[in-house]
Amino acid sequence: MSLLIEPIQSKKSLGDEGILFVRNDSIFDTMVKLPLLVASMIVVAALMPIQSSFSSPRDLDLIIYADGSTHVSTEIDVDPFLTDYEVNLFGNTIDNLVVIGDDGFLLDVDVIGDTALIQTFGSSVVTIEYDIHDLVSKQGRLWTFSLDSPSDFTLLLPKNSAIVGMTNLPLNMEIINEQNQLTLSSGSTEIDYFFSTNSISTPIEEIKNEEDNFLYAITGGIIAIVLVSIVIFVRNKQKDVKTIDEVVTIQKNNILDLETIFKLKPDLREDDKELVKFIFDNNGEALESELRKNFLQPRTTMWRAVKRLEREGVIEIEKKDLQNLVKLRKNMEEDN
Amino acid sequence: MKKLALFAIIVLIFGTMSPSLVNHAYGQNDPSILLRIAVQAEKQIVNQLDKKYENQIPNNINILYDKGHRAVKSLDQSLSNNDIEKAKQDFLLAMNSFMQISRIMSQSSEKVVVTISENSTQNLQSKIDRIEKYVKTLESISQKHNKIDQNKDQFTKAYSLIKEIRYQINSNENPYDNINELNNLMNSIKKEIRNSIAEKQSNSIKNFFEKFLAQIDEKLMEAKDLDRDQIRIDKANELILEIRELLSKNQINDAKKVYSELKVVLKDIGISVRIT
Repeated sequence: MSLLIEPIQSKKSLGDEGILFVRNDSIFDTMVKLPLLVASMIVVAALMPIQSSFSSPRDLDLIIYADGSTHVSTEIDVDPFLTDYEVNLFGNTIDNLVVIGDDGFLLDVDVIGDTALIQTFGSSVVTIEYDIHDLVSKQGRLWTFSLDSPSDFTLLLPKNSAIVGMTNLPLNMEIINEQNQLTLSSGSTEIDYFFSTNSISTPIEEIKNEEDNFLYAITGGIIAIVLVSIVIFVRNKQKDVKTIDEVVTIQKNNILDLETIFKLKPDLREDDKELVKFIFDNNGEALESELRKNFLQPRTTMWRAVKRLEREGVIEIEKKDLQNLVKLRKNMEEDN
Repeated sequence: MKKLALFAIIVLIFGTMSPSLVNHAYGQNDPSILLRIAVQAEKQIVNQLDKKYENQIPNNINILYDKGHRAVKSLDQSLSNNDIEKAKQDFLLAMNSFMQISRIMSQSSEKVVVTISENSTQNLQSKIDRIEKYVKTLESISQKHNKIDQNKDQFTKAYSLIKEIRYQINSNENPYDNINELNNLMNSIKKEIRNSIAEKQSNSIKNFFEKFLAQIDEKLMEAKDLDRDQIRIDKANELILEIRELLSKNQINDAKKVYSELKVVLKDIGISVRIT
């Protein structure tokens, strides 16, 4: 059955009477190209996390010390194709600033006022740590923490502090080393606290309400259904193809050994070398999802790593059952 | 094929929905937290009011306190009824009332933004806590690059200084000499880490520049074809040559400086700097 859309005016079979008759079960096929729709959705779903991830903090953790100074620790996804990245700090009285790239390199940074210009040079994730003195003010015995946060964040309050006012709903609260740690949503937050000599904080017990269980059950159910369907689908598929072992044996003979690959590509990053090693040990190919699981990397980070290796000419990406199959290239030597 | 496609659509729809479900679940993780925070705040406010006014609480504060107290009771009730939306409103109302009370009570005092110059015991302890965190961050970088053995003595000295400074603070001795020594030591460790990973880092930057400059070359050719400002294009080419020369001599920092100049020239020509 053809899935191509045929303009209605070009149809010759409308008949002399000019009556348009369309069978019910072919409406869907006639009106839309199903594979195209699926492909579009996959593209949208794949791009959504990438679009939203650049320039937005992945993690933001704050620790308030007893003197009101605050330690900020944040991890930001940045565009690996840019040479520098400008980030707004939460103030301009900064101490102990450290910026680390995704290879663990200390990155150079120029701070002007409350803006830091980081020389990222290919880093896809930067970790920024600094101490700041602008977030907490004090009036009499009352301390006030104020922040307009771009993302959800955790806030560890000092020991013996007692909250007496806040303008934002906490998402969570727990006790860490006798200190309250709040998880708060993005946006403007003000929290007033006093220091109390007799602390009235009590550790929070773990309470799981029924609503949580219900939601977890739904999510778990969905995951289970998806996994079972995938297993059934993959099994059906495998009936028609050669066994994996056969394919692997044929391919592995054509793949260069690791030493030669690394000699040909001496500038590969250490973490990329680990990926190559894993793929090699896996008979020269691995699904991107397997790489993510093995290296415990988020989808976007792994996607960038795979793309980097593809640009280097070390691997090639093929589509297999709607997934990315990453394969070591056989003709690397020709490129060099 | 059709079945597979429909299946993929269902999976994608649920896949897109599931993160928002999880976030929602997280937000409602433990609604009783709201009550705990509100009750704690109320107790603290009662303590402060007793200390400051004893039995002569001003009327405006009394009104605010009643409002907050009623909101806490209502919050308790809303949680019993499993009415989360109402509980959130009650929580914000209660906390807002207590916030207003605490601000009225503190109004007579001058408001200060916390500064680094205050040298009370509390501030010194916080300062040392911050420096210790900084030491740990540098230590983890050093460990990541397997350079911890090279810097081991320095880190040991840093931790021993921190211990000594804490002792001095607690026994009211002057810790400033040790604090200065610790600061100098940290600067030296940071510098050493930079130097020890410099080669590895410069290879990575060189690799990046190589691809980057190749792209800029192409864009300059295109700009030339489009009859853009030839003087600026020549200048850009000169700077690219200079960067390549500096990179070949391993003068990465100088290359970065020249690159800053190049960026300005490229902007003037109308070339956006981004590799693909």
